[in-house]
Amino acid sequence: MDVSQYLEIFLDETGEHLESLNTQILNLEQNPEDEATINEIFRAAHSLKGMAGTMGFKRMQNLTHDMENVFTEVRAGNMKVTSSLVDTLFQTLDALEEYTTNIRETSDEGTNDNQRLIDQLNEFLNSKGEPVPEKKEEKAGEDAGSKAPEGEAGAASSDEKFRNVPIGETEQSVLTAAIEEGKKIYGLTVYVDENCLLKAARAFLVYKAVEEKAEIILSNPTAQDIEDENFELDFSLIVISEAPLEEILEGARAVSEITKVVGAEFTAEDLEGISKEGEEKEAEEESAKKDAPKEEKKESSQETAAPAAVAAVPAQADHDKGTKNAPAKTGKSVVNRTIRVDIEKLDVLMNLVSELIIAKNSLVSATNNDGATGSEQIDYLESVTTSLHESVMKVRMVPIESVVSKFPRMIRDLQKKLGKKLELYMTGEETELDRTVVDEIGDPLMHLLRNSADHGIESAEVRAQRGKPEVGSIYLDAYQEGNTVIIEVRDDGNGIDVDAVKKKAIERGVVTPEQADSMAEKDVINLLFNAGFSTAKEITDVSGRGVGLDVVKSKIESLSGEVSVDSKYGEGSTWTIRLPLTLAIIQALMVVVGGEKYAISLASIQTIEDVAPEDIRLVENKEVMTLRGSVIPIIRLDKELDTVSTKKPDENLVVAIARKGEKLAGLVVDELIGQQEIVIKSLGKYINKTTIISGATVLGDGEIALIIDTNALI
Amino acid sequence: MEEVRITNADLIVDEGEKVQYIVIKLGTEQFGIDIKYIDNIIRMQSITRVPHAAPYIKGVINVRGEVIPALNLRLKMNLEEVEDTKATRIIILKLEQYGLIGFIVDEVKEVVTLSEIQIEKVSQDGTQNSDDNQQFVFGVGKIDNQLISLLDMNAVCSEK
Repeated sequence: MDVSQYLEIFLDETGEHLESLNTQILNLEQNPEDEATINEIFRAAHSLKGMAGTMGFKRMQNLTHDMENVFTEVRAGNMKVTSSLVDTLFQTLDALEEYTTNIRETSDEGTNDNQRLIDQLNEFLNSKGEPVPEKKEEKAGEDAGSKAPEGEAGAASSDEKFRNVPIGETEQSVLTAAIEEGKKIYGLTVYVDENCLLKAARAFLVYKAVEEKAEIILSNPTAQDIEDENFELDFSLIVISEAPLEEILEGARAVSEITKVVGAEFTAEDLEGISKEGEEKEAEEESAKKDAPKEEKKESSQETAAPAAVAAVPAQADHDKGTKNAPAKTGKSVVNRTIRVDIEKLDVLMNLVSELIIAKNSLVSATNNDGATGSEQIDYLESVTTSLHESVMKVRMVPIESVVSKFPRMIRDLQKKLGKKLELYMTGEETELDRTVVDEIGDPLMHLLRNSADHGIESAEVRAQRGKPEVGSIYLDAYQEGNTVIIEVRDDGNGIDVDAVKKKAIERGVVTPEQADSMAEKDVINLLFNAGFSTAKEITDVSGRGVGLDVVKSKIESLSGEVSVDSKYGEGSTWTIRLPLTLAIIQALMVVVGGEKYAISLASIQTIEDVAPEDIRLVENKEVMTLRGSVIPIIRLDKELDTVSTKKPDENLVVAIARKGEKLAGLVVDELIGQQEIVIKSLGKYINKTTIISGATVLGDGEIALIIDTNALI
Repeated sequence: MEEVRITNADLIVDEGEKVQYIVIKLGTEQFGIDIKYIDNIIRMQSITRVPHAAPYIKGVINVRGEVIPALNLRLKMNLEEVEDTKATRIIILKLEQYGLIGFIVDEVKEVVTLSEIQIEKVSQDGTQNSDDNQQFVFGVGKIDNQLISLLDMNAVCSEK
């Protein structure tokens, strides 16, 4: 059988396990005694090993195997979690990550054995204290080995469902022949974890593991049913093999999300007993009762609890009911039922919803022209399309957690590299964003965090002088605000030295000394986002290669977001990233300028004002107006859009007050049409981004309206 | 889409590779565009102006829900702009580098099939053709005593 179809699942899950290991190991360093964490780590490491093994990635399996050994010792309390151990473990995770990347790119794990890491891990294993390590290990192994079957044996017999598998005549003859040849017949029953999402894949992996050692003669349910996920939580196999039973069981247990595998050897007599179809049930019933005191107890308690009438029902029926109900109960874990969907399929769905909205808009405009026929139906259609759009959007939303969870580890690494004491505080990891945005946001955030750690947080001496705590704090806060998601990276470090920035800017020829003198502090700080600008006094490999902030800026802008910075010298800086919640469909304010229709994102509009021409004043040759006490600049859209207003100069102005961060500006338009849900389309590759137009949308009547980017205007 | 006549060019039996060209007119001159680029030919429709774009970019049009830039081929070829007529068409081309682009032309005449020997290559130094547009023309096709300048559309688009 070919495993390539499971490669994707493998990669996804490996990624998840590695992520969880990263977080948990970090956690472990702080709470070395925390049992839950250790167990979690052990589980993840074990799953990793099993998965790598079944997929045939031997090097990866070897490395995880040694890592797992270390965790076994830690779990048994034989080994202390030290900082150097954690370092090695992190390096191991990095190596595993590298394998995963190789596999993703080439379907092959590569040729790096990572022998050094394996040696290192073994060194830890061997040197961890007085007791001779091998013995301990052996003991631990024994423990696990002897415990497992023991623990299972108690509950097992009633779990040996393979005894109930009906064996047909052909199989019977095959099995008998095998016994005559001196081979062994085993029955296996495999139990899949009830939370398992991909039962079929798991079953397949078990199949594969078993097939390495044995020949599968019979499967119940059938292989086809299993492939179609047409089974509850267990399935039984009858196999012929020359290998000992334990080996086969081991192989099957190595598959992750398999809770338990029970098995036993069939003798020739057993086979005969089973083959007698008529007696089969009775015999099995008997043997079940004999072998399964627990099951009986359960049954009897059920009987006593049941009303008399039910108790009178023959025992066999009751038993059947009992066994039927049990898996059904555990099998239905209604919570957290998820499904992996290819993002492209969602894109298609999203496009269809967009089309639907355009179609709806055209209906709206058609009926507006004809008078009010069918307006009720249209209202209904409108509400349906809006909710449909919302649900599709929600499907595409994922928490940013998957991206930010790697940062604590990064800060820990930086701490060592930079020789500074740092602490990262994160909030709002559950904040959700469109999947495409989440995929892209990682790098910019990483840049900002590194920047804070490297340039922001001062050295210990300076911090002491300034009376700050020794440990520098970096905060990552994410939250939703209306239609935008805000991610803030904050530190209590040095802040931005405006004079240093000015000096650098002049040195680099970004501005002239005269320009620099007249620049407001804020504008100076914004120079940091210029390409090739880095104020780090020395270049480190952490940050300061002169790329960074400009890359951050362009990346965020390509996601239709914006980034700004607020800083107080000596106290710290705050970098704020604002991202739109949705990318493809927005609520827009439709306006007319010079007879042409334009759309402005409603999210950036604060209010609409009616302003008399005489209320517009000139300050330094620029038009401004006063709005509730503050003076804000006026932007005449007809000029910006290279057209001519259709309004007379003495008429009142319609001014849309737009906001960008904390800045406000009044956009003068000729006429308001109203609010509309629009689908954003790009202008195509040929028309280079004209700065103030961010895209276009198709209106209900088929005409195109351009979307004004207020951020570029203000 | 409409009124594209197929000439009996297929009757010409000749050697060399045969390529089909759409023949368009700008004034009196005829130009050929390789048919493999053609996505669609539509009638003139309303164009939304894009501020601050180059003069030959007339704006964007809506073709089946897609927003596509519309270029005036006359202006692009440094010819004079003329009023739209009934014959004015927009040819939608699909170019690998730029995606879909619409070109406004005076008229779409026909489809011709030219084999290699019917095409006279134009050398780069422009001795054959003295006007400005020779940089966009990679050859001249001769058919039925007519001359058709064959356009290299990637060159037309790349030069801005």
